[in-house]
Amino acid sequence: MGFLTDLTRRVKETQQALAEPALGTKALATGFGITFKHYLQQQIKLRPTETIQYPEERREQFPRTRWRHVLTRYENGLEKCIGCSLCAGACPARCIYVQASENSDDNRYSPGERYAVKYEINMIRCIFCGFCQDACPTGAIVLRKDFELADYHRDDFLYTKEMLLEPAPITGLIPLTAITVVEPAASSH
Amino acid sequence: MSENKLTQTDATLNPPTTDLVNIKINGVAVKVPKGENIIESARRVGVDIPYFCYHPRLSKGDAANCRMCLIEVASTAPDGSVRKMPKPQAACTMPASEGLVVETETPAIIKDRKGILEFLLINHPLDCPVCDRGGECPLQNNTLFYGPPTSRFIEEKRHYPKSYPLSEHVVFDRERCIQCARCTRFTEDISGDSQLGFLKRGADIEVGSFASTAYQSKFSGNVIELCPVGALLSRNYRFKARPWDLLTQKSICTQCSNGCNIKYDYRVDKIQRVNARLNEDVNEEWTCDRGKFGHDYISADSRLREPLVKRGGKWHPISWTEAYALVAEKFKAAGSNVAGIGGANATNEDNFAFQKFFRETLKSSNIDHRLGAYQGPGAGPIFSRLGYHTTGTTIAELESAKTIFLLGTELADEQPILFLRVRKAARFKGAAIVNALDRAVADTTSASDFADVDLLYRPGTEVALLNGVLNVLFSKELVAAQDGLDFSGLQSAVAEWTPEKAAAETGVSAESIVRAAELLARGSVAVIAGKTVTEHAYYTDIAAVLANLVIAVGSPAGLNIPVTDFNAQGAADMGVLPDYGPGYTPVASAGLNTRGILQAAASGSLGALWIVGAELLEQYADTKLAESALENCQFIVMNALSLTPTASMADLILPVASAAEKDGTVTSCERRIQRIYRAFDISGNVKPDWLVFTEVAELLGGGAPYVSARDIWRDIAQTIPTHSSITLKSLGESGIRWQYAHPAPKPTVAAAPYKAPAAAGTSRA
Ligand code: SF4
Ligand code: SF4
Ligand code: SF4
Ligand code: SF4
Ligand code: FES
Repeated sequence: MGFLTDLTRRVKETQQALAEPALGTKALATGFGITFKHYLQQQIKLRPTETIQYPEERREQFPRTRWRHVLTRYENGLEKCIGCSLCAGACPARCIYVQASENSDDNRYSPGERYAVKYEINMIRCIFCGFCQDACPTGAIVLRKDFELADYHRDDFLYTKEMLLEPAPITGLIPLTAITVVEPAASSH
Repeated sequence: MSENKLTQTDATLNPPTTDLVNIKINGVAVKVPKGENIIESARRVGVDIPYFCYHPRLSKGDAANCRMCLIEVASTAPDGSVRKMPKPQAACTMPASEGLVVETETPAIIKDRKGILEFLLINHPLDCPVCDRGGECPLQNNTLFYGPPTSRFIEEKRHYPKSYPLSEHVVFDRERCIQCARCTRFTEDISGDSQLGFLKRGADIEVGSFASTAYQSKFSGNVIELCPVGALLSRNYRFKARPWDLLTQKSICTQCSNGCNIKYDYRVDKIQRVNARLNEDVNEEWTCDRGKFGHDYISADSRLREPLVKRGGKWHPISWTEAYALVAEKFKAAGSNVAGIGGANATNEDNFAFQKFFRETLKSSNIDHRLGAYQGPGAGPIFSRLGYHTTGTTIAELESAKTIFLLGTELADEQPILFLRVRKAARFKGAAIVNALDRAVADTTSASDFADVDLLYRPGTEVALLNGVLNVLFSKELVAAQDGLDFSGLQSAVAEWTPEKAAAETGVSAESIVRAAELLARGSVAVIAGKTVTEHAYYTDIAAVLANLVIAVGSPAGLNIPVTDFNAQGAADMGVLPDYGPGYTPVASAGLNTRGILQAAASGSLGALWIVGAELLEQYADTKLAESALENCQFIVMNALSLTPTASMADLILPVASAAEKDGTVTSCERRIQRIYRAFDISGNVKPDWLVFTEVAELLGGGAPYVSARDIWRDIAQTIPTHSSITLKSLGESGIRWQYAHPAPKPTVAAAPYKAPAAAGTSRA
């Protein structure tokens, strides 16, 4: 009911406004004029485009942006992470779980004695503060620029070591049995 | 044999507390016991002096070698003038004396500390991130608070292989060792095995064992906690977690009856390591290796997580409802022709619920927790003579005994913490040790290393030996007359046991017997009898003669025949005995003891048997009987943690909670009641034993159900007069030793007959 009377009133008002030609066309022309001016300025590159056509286009991230974590490797393919749990200790959100184990010469993941068998980050809890990166003594865990972290299931936010680890530079290198840090000459590569 | 005994009490270890002196620390005047260590005195006024090698329980010996504790010291002359010592002094070897003026924060000392730490770190690998000690490391802490921010040492450090296997449990990282000598002094002062020492000298100095053999000790785990750096590490815990990953819960060690205070460090539902908790009355700060490394069973993958029933020789998981229905059906059908064995590894609350279920719901007194040879009257052989069932001396009181008589025991295995006290009494308090051993069992024990007299007797001749000792006591008039005690009967009974006759019978030399008697005559005697005695066919006779001995030497409260299983003491106190109810109140008609139950089961006449965690096949001496009982019993239900050999012969297995998954109290061999706390659950589907009994009792129409362990404790306190004043809160951190309500009975002496062993070696049960 109210809707109908409202509608009739509005139609009436518009008709009245248009009956006064000066008022209607002037307002329209001014408005579209601004739009047209900006369009022309952009076309001749006088004005930068602010809108980004995401996801076809992506904004360049600042160099120190902190988004998705990556567990990095040394150039020879060994994992930098030594399973020390310092990141877990530093994490204010308590969202890192590290479980360490011992390297052996036949089964070597990282230089030295210790490596992480399990490394998990609960991304729902993470606040991207970067404390883990600060705490890491080997520079293993770093927060990089990948910010597209949405997902459909809670379980999928539990990032495992496999998901976090940088791909090995040479495929088929895991486990890195052939690489020993002490004696490069012993390597058959 | 006693050459490594300190000739007198080490004043710095045991400062007399009565004599006070005035000293000044950083300008604060304070009265402290004379001779007290300055590190301790400084603590009183809130001043921390950093240290590495100092440890209040270890002797100084050749220590004071880390130099971390340097202080400036001055003495006040009688005329009031202060004279400063020209060089800094080590606080850890500086006893407090009248007028001492101590400065700990002078610019010189601050510089000295930086220098010391820089030196210590020259060859230290500083691999804190992969070091198990990182996060709880005194070297890290001291460096952080007192050390230089950086090192000037840029040369290559000294390198050694990283994880040298020192022993079965301990791995050694030589690079990290700072040569504080805590570990070597531990083996010398505390465990008494002197296994570790320093090899080589100068920059090459290293901790090691003789000729690099394995470090063999029953207490090796303690050096891991003692080491102020990450040099000595647990093989088991290595790389498992960092300190900040761990959650901690207080508990009591389940591996023996000594009641060591421990803490579980766990992650989620897995125990990562066990550390000692301080309790001056029990374990001080030590554990034995069984305790420190023996709790893996709690987090083992083999733990059962649902009830299992055996159908057609195969195990099938079933629900608790079905399991309860089966138990109820079988026990209802069997009426009072049922029995229960076990409880020595369960809490007091479990045991109370266990016996209540049998006595009140099933109307049967066929319950027993004892698996050993002695299954006579539940009060044991010494209660009527001495007024206590098992132990007259507390663990801490062993320290003040003048003479300790060990009979038939490898104490370090059976009662490790009692052993450490005996060792402490011998090393630091001047106690004499008489070590009597059945030579068929062993010719040395850990106590032989420091015993004053070793008596290696022929098997089965304990009574002859003790009578020989008594004879010497009387003939040399070493027995003081005691009010209202007539020794004449005993004296004439042992008159024939001259040292020579006793020597001929026992194979011990007459001089040793005389020497032992002389030492025992010094008064303040503690006797500890072990498994050779309790497992003996003549246990009752030996106990009677032991009672005579402690009465004759004037220490009627000095006899100890401690139980060995975790909570065997508590199970007896709670009335898991065929002839005694809770608090040792005799029951109207006694039931069957373990042997009787097993015989009934073996003959097939027992309707149903409930085993509460007792590993009959492994622990019961007569394996044949146990086996045939398990085979022929009509129905066996067992509360078990995992599918052990005994459990696999049951018909139904109920998965129960371990000590880390339930609250409750346990009673140690010295009658100390202490609490255990639930740390985690391995599954929502395991239940504590008491809950199982409560729920089944309810099914069978029992009384009001218990809802918590606390609830049961309230009932225990109401039922047992000696426990009535004890609340869970009053147990506090160190527990309470329950006391007999009656006054100690008047000692009486009664000669026991000597039965010669039939043939060497065959007399022992
Ligand atoms: S970024 Fe911060 S919150 Fe996220 S894992 Fe690292 S430390 Fe934790
Ligand atoms: S990521 Fe770095 S800080 Fe975390 S465990 Fe690995 S090495 Fe240690
Ligand atoms: S012993 Fe202490 S200082 Fe040395 S590496 Fe281990 S944690 Fe670091
Ligand atoms: S191993 Fe540890 S306790 Fe032993 S001397 Fe070295 S630093 Fe001290
Ligand atoms: S603590 Fe005093 S010298 Fe080591």
